[in-house]
Amino acid sequence: MNRKTNPVEKIYMGIIFLFMYAPIVTLIVLSFNKSKSRAKWGGFTFQWYLNLVQDSEVLNAMANTLIIALIATIVSTVIGTAASVALTGMKRRTRSLIMGVTNIPMINADIVTGISLMLLFKVLHFDAGFITVLIAHITFDIPYVMLSVLPRMKTISPSVYEAALDLGAEPFFAFRRTILPDLAPAIISGSLMAFTMSIDDFIITYFTKGSGFDTLSTKIYSEVKRGIRPEIYALSAIIFVAVLILLLLSDRMKLQSGKLASRARAGGNEKIKKIGGIVALAGVSLAIILMALAFGGVFSKKSTQVFVYNAGEYIDPEVIELFQKETGIEVVYDEFESNEIMYAKIASDGAAYDVLCPSDYMIAKMISNDMLMKLDWPELPNAQNYIGRQYYESAQAFDPSNEYAVPYCWGTVGILYNREMVHESVNSWDILWNPKYKGEILMQDSIRDAFMVALARRGYSINSVDPDEINTATADLIEQAPLVQAYVIDQVRDKMIGNEAALGVIYSGEAIYTRRENENLEYVIPDEGSNVWIDGWVISRDARNIENALAWIDFLCRPEIALMNFEYITYSTPNLAAQEMIEDEEIRNSKVAFPDDETLSRCDTYVSLGEEGDRLYNEAWKKVKSAD
Amino acid sequence: MFRDSRKAGAVASPYFAWALIFILVPLAMILYYGLTDPSGSLTLANIIAIAQPEHTKSLLLALELAIISTVICFLLAYPLGMILAKNKMSSQGLITTIFILPMWMNFLLRTFSWMTLLENHGVLNGILEFLHLPTIHVINTPAAIVIGMVYNFLPFMIMPIYNSLAKIDDNVINAARDLGANAVQTFLRVTLPLTVPGIISGVTMVFIPALTTFAISTMLGGSKILLIGNVIEQEFTLTYDWHLGSGLSIVLMIFIVVNMVVSAVSEKKDES
Repeated sequence: MNRKTNPVEKIYMGIIFLFMYAPIVTLIVLSFNKSKSRAKWGGFTFQWYLNLVQDSEVLNAMANTLIIALIATIVSTVIGTAASVALTGMKRRTRSLIMGVTNIPMINADIVTGISLMLLFKVLHFDAGFITVLIAHITFDIPYVMLSVLPRMKTISPSVYEAALDLGAEPFFAFRRTILPDLAPAIISGSLMAFTMSIDDFIITYFTKGSGFDTLSTKIYSEVKRGIRPEIYALSAIIFVAVLILLLLSDRMKLQSGKLASRARAGGNEKIKKIGGIVALAGVSLAIILMALAFGGVFSKKSTQVFVYNAGEYIDPEVIELFQKETGIEVVYDEFESNEIMYAKIASDGAAYDVLCPSDYMIAKMISNDMLMKLDWPELPNAQNYIGRQYYESAQAFDPSNEYAVPYCWGTVGILYNREMVHESVNSWDILWNPKYKGEILMQDSIRDAFMVALARRGYSINSVDPDEINTATADLIEQAPLVQAYVIDQVRDKMIGNEAALGVIYSGEAIYTRRENENLEYVIPDEGSNVWIDGWVISRDARNIENALAWIDFLCRPEIALMNFEYITYSTPNLAAQEMIEDEEIRNSKVAFPDDETLSRCDTYVSLGEEGDRLYNEAWKKVKSAD
Repeated sequence: MFRDSRKAGAVASPYFAWALIFILVPLAMILYYGLTDPSGSLTLANIIAIAQPEHTKSLLLALELAIISTVICFLLAYPLGMILAKNKMSSQGLITTIFILPMWMNFLLRTFSWMTLLENHGVLNGILEFLHLPTIHVINTPAAIVIGMVYNFLPFMIMPIYNSLAKIDDNVINAARDLGANAVQTFLRVTLPLTVPGIISGVTMVFIPALTTFAISTMLGGSKILLIGNVIEQEFTLTYDWHLGSGLSIVLMIFIVVNMVVSAVSEKKDES
């Protein structure tokens, strides 16, 4: 049968090979791309590899991934092997029943396994985090170990073991000396499988992880939504090359040990033992080093912390650094994609974060559901002195006596369009329904903003809870769906900059930034009117670090910090002192950043819709999203 | 090897405890949430909710895409498995690992990379433009999701098929040929039946993750295409309705159980 591979077979393998490796090559190429946008090649650079060394977020996620995988593999290997050994001593029926249960996490959908564990941890009031993810990983790793060990165990005859017992050996000693050596290959391959599964898992980790804890997978998933940092490409390229080298080496080793084995029969046994010993030693020491590194990352938590939950791309990272340096408080910083996602998280675990930054209508909803804490105003001098009175007055729409929220940013929602691609004047939401721009339109993947566009276009209130009006808006959005390229949130920015779309619904704060990166982009608020919003800092009712949370809020209200932050995120600041300090006159007087009264008179704020209203919108939104 | 079954029980007890607490109890929780409403009273509403048009649609679409992906995976993997199994060269282990190796790159990153490749102004269209060929529009369509599924789950199909092909004794094939069967007959009557267990386990390992994914559809579907996995995920992370999310999970589990029973039955048949 040892025919040579024929050309057709070679071509076929080549095609599959290309298919498997094209994305990987792409990633490796991107890791050397100077341009941050993946759509453009900006020249060759090693920058991302250098940055990686300092990128503690990515490195922490990597360390978490490794330590979870290592501990989960070790624990599941021990438990799984013990169970496999014991099972062979049991009745056939018991055994198949237990194997049935064991197989559940492997056969069941990951999403169901993840959700079921999440429900369990919630009911038991387990704090989601490192431990819950670890438990989840052990749970789905065990079947892989047992599946590998059990069949092997069945083939091992117990007679040698029994003989050892008869000769007076302790059971464990006898097991170690007679059965374990035969079992070792199966244990190793099972634990390797478990390790691989653990490293690559996303879904189950996603549902069982808590605040401030990320593995590489969950980190990447949250970054995908707004464009991945090139450092992650660099990291994955390194991992890939490392694994490739390891595999090549082990393949070499196998070949050599094969040759050695034949020689060993002639009397070179010692050498093999030596090589095996070195490999084992290297493996163990590598594991120990990794563990030490990872433990350092996971447990080197400082004593004082504040858990911050903010919208994506909504702060200058430098500000976080400064705060940590000045106060010694460690900031555990997570980002949410939309107010609704934030709400679901806090509703399920109020203590997950201390300080949050939702929008107006969501603050109202949280106040009415008793999820927020009244602020201790004497602790917030900067917030009292520098945030403009008019913004507190506007905030009374959702926080009637200004007890809960400190305004952070405000702005409008409008259309960002590319003048190179849109050759007409844009002054109406109607243009988002123009078939001419099929596939060139980006909508917000956020319930309220999507419906706002449809409601405003019809001249309805953007807070409508009238079922007929919502039905009309739903029908309109469904009609629009085939024209929409994608429903995205923070990605609108990068896609518009990269000329991936002609029109996008976007928040005014992004207008200045996108204009800076791509001068063809123009921001307009359509004539039919739009939404004017305020985002504010609030403290969760169940917050654990209240003082630190207050310190955080007040730090952000310091004029020079607010200014620095404004210049980075370019969202309008309600901090009057900071506004005055803006050096760039064009921006200080920009109508986009600080719209005039005429524009604002066309805009409405969102109010909370109430339970029935939320239900109507949620159902309608699902219809829209599954329409195309 | 245990003379005393109580001892066996003692050794296995950590695992029994683990399986009880972290496998069975959580599933019971899903049943509880799925069969009750927020006030705690029993209801079937969360299960029947699958009949709502948008839910049915997402389930049917997920089934359709999962079946298409599974079939494509099978059609790609079987010939590859045969080629790999046939060439029993010394570096054969290496070649197999080469097809498994991509799994070591994070699954989300690989999917993300497909975004870059398939985008309207992405790498693939760049190449097509360069060759003066018409560009394709794939991103944010079901086709992109199928590509993502096939790409991510193909190794799960290759492995078991390759293993079962490699196990076939050459003598069996030779015997069939000696007895006058031609290549097609040998394949259909000998090779294929012998690899049924591998095919079944490959199909299961591709079909179920494809049916229930939400990450691939979110990334390559531009959040425009809702699969049943997306609907369930959103009930937990967006609309905060755990009861409905659990109810739909139960529906999903029914499909998984059906798949399990089908594969168990065909495996039994195969054994006899």
